[in-house]
Amino acid sequence: ENREDMLSSKSNRLTEALEEANKLFSGVSCAREAALDAQFLVLASNLGKEKANELHSEMTAFDSLAFAEDLLTFMGINRIEVEENDSDSEGISGGYLPSNAWHKLGEETEKYFRRAPSFHYMLGSFKSDPPVPRQRIERQKKTTGGEEKRAMPAQLKKMEESHQEATEKEVERILGLLQTHFKNDPDTPISFFDLVIDPNSFARTVENIFHVSFIIRDGFARLKLDDDKLPIIEPSKDEGRKDDHSAGARNQVVISLNHQEWK
Amino acid sequence: PPQHQRLAFAFASQGDDGDEDFSLSQMPTHSQVQRNLERHSQDQLNQKVSELVQFLLVKDQKKIPIKRVDILKKVIREYRDVYSEIVNRAGRTLQQVFGLQLVEIDTKHHIYILTSDLPRAEGENLRRDNQTAKLGLLIVILSFIFMKGNSAKDSESPPAPHFPFLPPPPPLTPRFPGAVWEFLRRLRVQPGERHEVFGDVRKLVTEEFVRQKYLEITPIPLTDPPEFKYQWGPRAAKETTKKDVLRFVAKVR
Repeated sequence: ENREDMLSSKSNRLTEALEEANKLFSGVSCAREAALDAQFLVLASNLGKEKANELHSEMTAFDSLAFAEDLLTFMGINRIEVEENDSDSEGISGGYLPSNAWHKLGEETEKYFRRAPSFHYMLGSFKSDPPVPRQRIERQKKTTGGEEKRAMPAQLKKMEESHQEATEKEVERILGLLQTHFKNDPDTPISFFDLVIDPNSFARTVENIFHVSFIIRDGFARLKLDDDKLPIIEPSKDEGRKDDHSAGARNQVVISLNHQEWK
Repeated sequence: PPQHQRLAFAFASQGDDGDEDFSLSQMPTHSQVQRNLERHSQDQLNQKVSELVQFLLVKDQKKIPIKRVDILKKVIREYRDVYSEIVNRAGRTLQQVFGLQLVEIDTKHHIYILTSDLPRAEGENLRRDNQTAKLGLLIVILSFIFMKGNSAKDSESPPAPHFPFLPPPPPLTPRFPGAVWEFLRRLRVQPGERHEVFGDVRKLVTEEFVRQKYLEITPIPLTDPPEFKYQWGPRAAKETTKKDVLRFVAKVR
């Protein structure tokens, strides 16, 4: 009679009844009682089976609807825009699911997986064309002045970097200045510092030293120390330059000039 | 570097080995392998191990399990007599250098996957692609299957193979969705519609996930209209656990 009570997962009534039956059985002496006992056992086992099923179905009474809603929430669904008559009849709840919803879920998921990251080369595949070789022209040691001047612009055109062109132009300009000065006033060497220092700009001064160094490297001019041990600069004559090359008479000079000194 | 070029060539050339039957022959035993090791120099062996490591890493990109047949044909070749040694060393390298495990998910047909030993790195600069989103869809399906007692029924299935002497399969009629797809529908994922993120979702779930061995979809015999059983695939079983999925479900609730 107390079927519902017995079936409830919260009650141990069935167990208690079984235990009682067990105790009673020891007092059984005649067949009729044994038969009753057997009947009781059948009933009890049927109830037991149902109870077990109920247990099972409680576990699988997994509320998939609620789970779906929770997933949508996790993915960032925006429910504010739900309309009144929205599709509960279709079984899909309303709301706007953002485009990164699944990605967001995936990111959380990755924590629960031991998936090997996909292997990809960082630099991508090989390019089919070989890299274009850089057009660096070696500066030739010049032997004649006039032709060199004409040749230099032609060389310039081959340079790729534009800042190199700018450098070249500057160097040319300074060389021109130097040569003009000496044409007007030969045999008077110019003080190096007079030539390069820009009283208004330290940076410009450094640039000038840089440009003059090219002139000297190429042998268009020479640096010497005058009687006061101050550097002076004078254009090289042709013969001098030739000698320079054969004798290998080239020196490295390091000039240091800091801001204070410049001032 | 020349080594790389040679490797690319090794993968490109195929089909010349028609004489050797890689699929059905016996593999050397352990003691045979030990004897055979003497026939190859250490350098040669190391070269093969490196090639195998690279092969596995590249093959794993699409997450399609790697067959021993392919490994033998494309990489091992004439070093077949020391196959197990090369594979073991490659596995060690993968573990020590990359933190990856070489796992055999099918010991009968000899099929391998790579899994990670290390916890997933977190960070902003990780590669972003569609794989992450697909993983989200996958865990949703896996958790549904799990909560339904490790298998769920549905009528959606991978395309049936067509056997020549049997009547052709019935035309694709709209199917009444079963439990799995009914659940997915609540998440705005439907088999008939093109999905904004996943494209052809039916294909993704019934073909790609199945091919990758994340899902197993098997027909239930004597059902009309045909019904199919959805279960976890062997890759899912190796890459995650029921306990982890339960933690996920708990986190979402």
